[in-house]
Amino acid sequence: MKVLVLNCGSSSVKFQVIETSLAMIEANADITLARGAVEKIGLSDSRLTLDVPGCKPYREIAEILEHRAAVERVLKVLVNPDHGVLATVSEIEAVGHRMVHGGEKFASSVLVNPEVEAMIEECVVLAPLHNPHNLRGLTAARSLLPGVPHIAVFDTAFHQSMPPKAFVYGLPYELYTRHAIRRYGFHGTSHRYVSIRTANLLGRPIEELKIVTCHLGNGCSMAAVDRGHSADTSMGFTPLEGLLMGTRCGDLDAAIVPWVLAMEEVTLAQLNAMLNKHSGLYGISGVSSDMREIEAACATGNQRARLALDIFCYRIRKYVGAYAAAMGGLDAVTFTGGIGENSPLVRGAALTGMEFLGIELAEDANRDATHGEEVLVSRPGARVAVAVIPTNEERVIARDTVRVLGGVMPSFAVAGNEAPR
Amino acid sequence: MMGRSIATRVSQAGLGVVVRDLTRERTDKVAELLAGDLDREIERWGLTQSEKKAILARVEFTTELSKTAGCDLLIETINEDFEAKKQLLVELDAVLEPEIPIIINTSTLSISELAQGLQHPERVLGMHFLYPVTTTRVVEVVKGQVTCDDAFETARRFVRILGKVPIQEFESPGFVTTRVIMPLINEAAHVVMEGVASAGDVDLAIKLGYDFRYGPLEWADRIGLHRILNWLEHLFRETGETKFRPCPIIRKLVRAGHTGARVGKGFFTYDSERSRLDRLPDDSPKLS
Repeated sequence: MKVLVLNCGSSSVKFQVIETSLAMIEANADITLARGAVEKIGLSDSRLTLDVPGCKPYREIAEILEHRAAVERVLKVLVNPDHGVLATVSEIEAVGHRMVHGGEKFASSVLVNPEVEAMIEECVVLAPLHNPHNLRGLTAARSLLPGVPHIAVFDTAFHQSMPPKAFVYGLPYELYTRHAIRRYGFHGTSHRYVSIRTANLLGRPIEELKIVTCHLGNGCSMAAVDRGHSADTSMGFTPLEGLLMGTRCGDLDAAIVPWVLAMEEVTLAQLNAMLNKHSGLYGISGVSSDMREIEAACATGNQRARLALDIFCYRIRKYVGAYAAAMGGLDAVTFTGGIGENSPLVRGAALTGMEFLGIELAEDANRDATHGEEVLVSRPGARVAVAVIPTNEERVIARDTVRVLGGVMPSFAVAGNEAPR
Repeated sequence: MMGRSIATRVSQAGLGVVVRDLTRERTDKVAELLAGDLDREIERWGLTQSEKKAILARVEFTTELSKTAGCDLLIETINEDFEAKKQLLVELDAVLEPEIPIIINTSTLSISELAQGLQHPERVLGMHFLYPVTTTRVVEVVKGQVTCDDAFETARRFVRILGKVPIQEFESPGFVTTRVIMPLINEAAHVVMEGVASAGDVDLAIKLGYDFRYGPLEWADRIGLHRILNWLEHLFRETGETKFRPCPIIRKLVRAGHTGARVGKGFFTYDSERSRLDRLPDDSPKLS
């Protein structure tokens, strides 16, 4: 089955065409036929890119004013005889949509119908910067491809298995019941995918494994995956909480917020931008939000870059310990995302000296881990496996689309865990 | 300054902007000041370097009026000078397609009077952006006597795209915000002039008493006392109400060149970053 995967942002539509089926999922043999993006939607010089494996990349600049026009343009380019991959649009048998926030309403991917669309609409309040654009793409694609099923896959759904003790904040309970303020967690598709792949790499059923997954990219989060279910995760009500990130502060004493508001006379918008865009690796180092540049600055003796790197790795280490304790054991630690997959230095600094937990990193394997491959970087025979698994969120979306349609996953909305109301 | 701030906010919202001024020297200066404004916002953590780049990339500077012909909406931002605004409107009316709304940025002038005699007066409406444009959440959208509903609705939608709240109003001197705030500033100045309390104490009383971000006199300093004087004179002329007769102390400060935060001195003194230097000890943030 050829699945079109769409990920719609405020001014972009990213897409992939993936050929997959239940048998191909089983064999981990899905094929990405094409990938690309429309960027700068709303401007006269919007840019469309299409990359087909083995072919010259295709680029075009055109005025694309809104999401419907962008999706329309994507469909057109996919069937273009010169650089497309489809003979006709009817080859697309289903569309998988990335949705950032499913609130407590969606604990798994779901077949979209008007009722589901209305439920997604209700989650807009929780992700006002993301869900409206996701929805705009969904509406556009449903009107342009009305004859095929559309599946929504949520970043938050995987973490809906968390128990209330992990997701309720120590705030007045009314904030939860009135405004649904609680931990939701993000990067769910990635944590789910790499935990399944880790089990596969170890040749053991996921149902008997306690895995800590570390998604370290531009945004960073960790999850405690207990026998295939998310038991806790570091991001919270928003993607700001938890680990140190490129420009996000991560965990913070909440009392700092009113202090800064009072002392610096900043507006709420400036404070929000400060926490999300001027903090983290960039805020501490003053060098960059990019880990590669932080590592390069460390090598030249830049002390603030070193401090930023130390804090980054220290937080990962603390969460590994915390999640091992939360799950009552640990079988594997998995790294993924741009930093997780490509920085032996971060993996090493985060996990060295954790033999007491059974973590023993193999220095050579960690250093030589090949980009794009699933590998173990722990010493053979170590009690806890350490894996590097390249994430592939689009593949998860395509796979969920097939699973929902194939009856392996429920096609209706499954609500997540809720605390008493 | 107002035109520059509006251009910044429009670009920040992701829209392309054409900034037109009379000479190349002036557009160069505006471009330089605009980049400086963004740098200050970066220092206040409100923006990132890459956002600054994107904002600048969406702004085009020109001296040719004809370049505005492709725009979906036009905002004129000449200071409150009736004749100059009128002259520009006549030129724009000839250049722009009839359905393109022309927005007059004003806090005191009559939209209907400015639109009079144009070929398409129905596309003219008023908008009052408040200082500072990038952060203030409200914009007054003002309907003139003959403004058509289409132009008015386009303007309201535009304000929403900017992330601001449009307040729908009908034409009246000072609209809502200027008409309500001016007597407060004027009265605060009178209280100081009568020796009832110092400028610092008057501001502190109002700021703490009514939970204002700034007291009325600091607010006046930040807007510019020459502007305040201009508005008061206009409102006094238009309405004949004595509450708008400018307090002599404001006139005195303006005559001395002490026009407020931008020049470093008005009712209070300010550093080059426009931070107030003479705050009273009690005028500091407290968390409890």
